[in-house]
Amino acid sequence: MLLDLHTHSVKSDDGRAKVENYCKWIRKKELPLDGFVLTEHRQFDASSDYRHLEDEYDLLILKASEVETDFGHVLVFGVNDDLLAALDFSDIRLPIDAVLSEAERCGAFAAPCHPGRKRVGLFSHYEEQGIVDGVHTVEVLNGGSIPGEDEWSLQRAEDLGYRGFGGSDSHVVSRIGLCATEFPNEVITSVDDLVDALTIGNFQPISLRPETEIN
Amino acid sequence: MSDALSFEDIELGDELAVVHPDVSMANVKKFCGAAKHSFERFIDHDAARAEGFPGAIVPGIMSQGLLASMIHRWAPGCTIKSIDTVFRGSLLVDSQITMTGAVTDTDESERRIELDLTILAEDGRTGVIGTATVEFPV
Repeated sequence: MLLDLHTHSVKSDDGRAKVENYCKWIRKKELPLDGFVLTEHRQFDASSDYRHLEDEYDLLILKASEVETDFGHVLVFGVNDDLLAALDFSDIRLPIDAVLSEAERCGAFAAPCHPGRKRVGLFSHYEEQGIVDGVHTVEVLNGGSIPGEDEWSLQRAEDLGYRGFGGSDSHVVSRIGLCATEFPNEVITSVDDLVDALTIGNFQPISLRPETEIN
Repeated sequence: MSDALSFEDIELGDELAVVHPDVSMANVKKFCGAAKHSFERFIDHDAARAEGFPGAIVPGIMSQGLLASMIHRWAPGCTIKSIDTVFRGSLLVDSQITMTGAVTDTDESERRIELDLTILAEDGRTGVIGTATVEFPV
């Protein structure tokens, strides 16, 4: 399965994409995605129900979160009530140790995104604060990266023995699917399946950027 | 007979021609003068650097105006019902910036479309994202 693990909708303060328009775009452009994960900033959108869109467009639509930590932004898959009680998702300086440990305790999966980006990426914080124990997976391909960022992410992840996945980090419709994650031989139909697949580690990042794409 | 793009010509997924607008210091100064928006960070590289910017930056209202002009160049005669921009990073004066747009939804009954809008900085960073709702005459 091919999933875009990092997208934002109008539920994010800086997102301008309607979820149905993502679906229409994927089908119209014949993108090879089987689905996408909404990772809204500093929140978990528990209330939205996209099952009708899943049925209409035959796409998997899952919900997760992008939280902000003292080591940059982190995607959290498998958010549940226990994790929401343990962490204040609106805090823009969550301790990354707490995010990683609480996610694991609550059966979720936490992984830093765009680690090669200045200020909001894990590896730029590593340069100043040292390496964090407990990181095992990072987003090595991000659709919003400028030239050089993903290359650095890939190299550092390899050096540190981290697994890598991909996501578009789309905030508008036409950016979805620029990067994604392939799960060979996996059937993912729920967020629990996704957490299991990420934990097993049988996946790879994919770039679907057009050749003319600048970033 | 007009060659202007009509609603019937448009499909979801259509992309507007890429535009590299003129954001030279001379042009930005002209805009700031006309808009009465002459802050030093927009029209003086040294002053902008003193504020912590890498150089003078393109005013946000100019970016929005440039996006609107791209839409009207693509579809003369259309009406921009709304335009909503998010400023994610600075765009530098005297650099080459890139504007793109794409049709992300169409509404036949209202003869309206929704557009994605993006401005990329010269180094590829996303400077501005946005959306617009555009209406076409019958």
